[in-house]
Amino acid sequence: MNMTRAMAIFEKDLKEFMKNMMLFTSVLIPILMAVFFSRVGIGAGAEGEMPPEILGILAGVVFSAVLFSGIMTMIAEENEKDTLRGLLQSPATIIDIILGKSMVVILMTVISLVASIVIISPENYWTLENIISLVLAGMFFLNMGIGLGLVVKSVATTSVYIIPIMFIFGFTPYIEMLITDPDSIGIKIAEYFPIYQHMFVLEGNAGAVEFIVLAAWVAVSFLLVLWAFNKRKNDE
Amino acid sequence: MSIIQVNNLEKTFGSERALAGITFNVERGQIFGLLGPSGSGKTTTIKVMTGELKPSDGDVNVNNFNYKQFRKNDYVSSLGILSDKSSLYERLTVKDNLELFRKLYNAPKGSVERVLKDVGLESEIDKPVSKLSKGMKQRILLCKAVIHRPAILFLDEPTSALDPTTTEKIHDMLEELRDEGTTILLTTHNMDEATRLCDNVAFLYQGVIQDSGAPAELRHRYKRNEVHITYTDGTVKTVDRTEENRSLLDNVLFNEEAVDVRTDFPTLGEVFKKVTGKELV
Repeated sequence: MNMTRAMAIFEKDLKEFMKNMMLFTSVLIPILMAVFFSRVGIGAGAEGEMPPEILGILAGVVFSAVLFSGIMTMIAEENEKDTLRGLLQSPATIIDIILGKSMVVILMTVISLVASIVIISPENYWTLENIISLVLAGMFFLNMGIGLGLVVKSVATTSVYIIPIMFIFGFTPYIEMLITDPDSIGIKIAEYFPIYQHMFVLEGNAGAVEFIVLAAWVAVSFLLVLWAFNKRKNDE
Repeated sequence: MSIIQVNNLEKTFGSERALAGITFNVERGQIFGLLGPSGSGKTTTIKVMTGELKPSDGDVNVNNFNYKQFRKNDYVSSLGILSDKSSLYERLTVKDNLELFRKLYNAPKGSVERVLKDVGLESEIDKPVSKLSKGMKQRILLCKAVIHRPAILFLDEPTSALDPTTTEKIHDMLEELRDEGTTILLTTHNMDEATRLCDNVAFLYQGVIQDSGAPAELRHRYKRNEVHITYTDGTVKTVDRTEENRSLLDNVLFNEEAVDVRTDFPTLGEVFKKVTGKELV
């Protein structure tokens, strides 16, 4: 890994991100959602406090639409246009390339998440526990995006993965609107998903288990990255 | 000692043999051409030398690196590569594209302006790549390949489907690079290009080198022993260059009976056809 090369790729990808309308607008979606939620007061309790479900959905949208979708689309586009091969023929390694791209989507994710949260301005959001849960959930979405991005060959194919991942992992709290029975097996399974762990932390009743579950999701997503790296190596 | 040494290179993909017994050497500062039709193994040969593919058998040494060391940073930094699939970041400017590779190769500041001047595109530096013509993009790709002044340049079909003016400009630049000491290995279908640029060529067909040598030497080796005479009245006569025809040829040459007398040296394309039995397209 070489930081100079990773930074060169970061600079290039930041410019590309800003000029790519599809990627750039993805940063604005959670912010617009936050404006909408704050104006109509969806789910606001008696004290006007935003419930964890809405904050969970916002974090889920940021992670799935900006972080996951962003890194996956950027890698897929390099694959599709054969520019990735040009980078790999240079002294840059795949690790430098992934690191440079990750820095761009992490920066955009932070901007999108912080702006959305500032608009909603919930109390006690930036606690250490919540920041750790956000970091772990973010690592899961980032790994998923890198792993699938290395496998897909074109931008068009990314939607095959983006839509289900977004609905299953990004919009997990919506399951309570679809399944009203709290004892349903669907709800029980969803409660082990990353965004639910983040919501439990937000509610203030999380223990070590929630962080272990999140760490397990990160570990699984990291295995996906390793598998994708090996698959790509074997394909070549 | 040759800068590129390829000995008995074999490459198979599953049960399919792509290269068999490929052997050739390239001297430092030479332009070497791999000539062959599509699917003959030219790109596979280049990919082995750039470390993108591993040989199934045989040995490859380039710039004092064995193929087992081809992923080393020092080796990769010594190469410039322009493949038939090379492309640029269309949304970014010419400068952004070249600056990226200048930084990746750790080339000195000012290299972008230098290479753009070399190809006559310094005025396009702030233009988005998407606004450039195909010929301009190809010249920018060549700039990208040489921005770090590589010791060896691999070019896969560098002028394929380009207009004659752009082709001429690229040829001029390649000759300048050779004069500066860069070793160039190129693949091409264009026989005029190979004849003009290459110090040595190898004919690759069905994964096997059929013959190799300097273009003039190959043309001489496969020449037909014929002389074509075009007379003042427009008639054309072809005669063998033998003792029996000596008086006829003397008359033609000294009595001004002919407007054109031409010995029959085949073109490189004709030599290729003679060697492989196939047109080079």
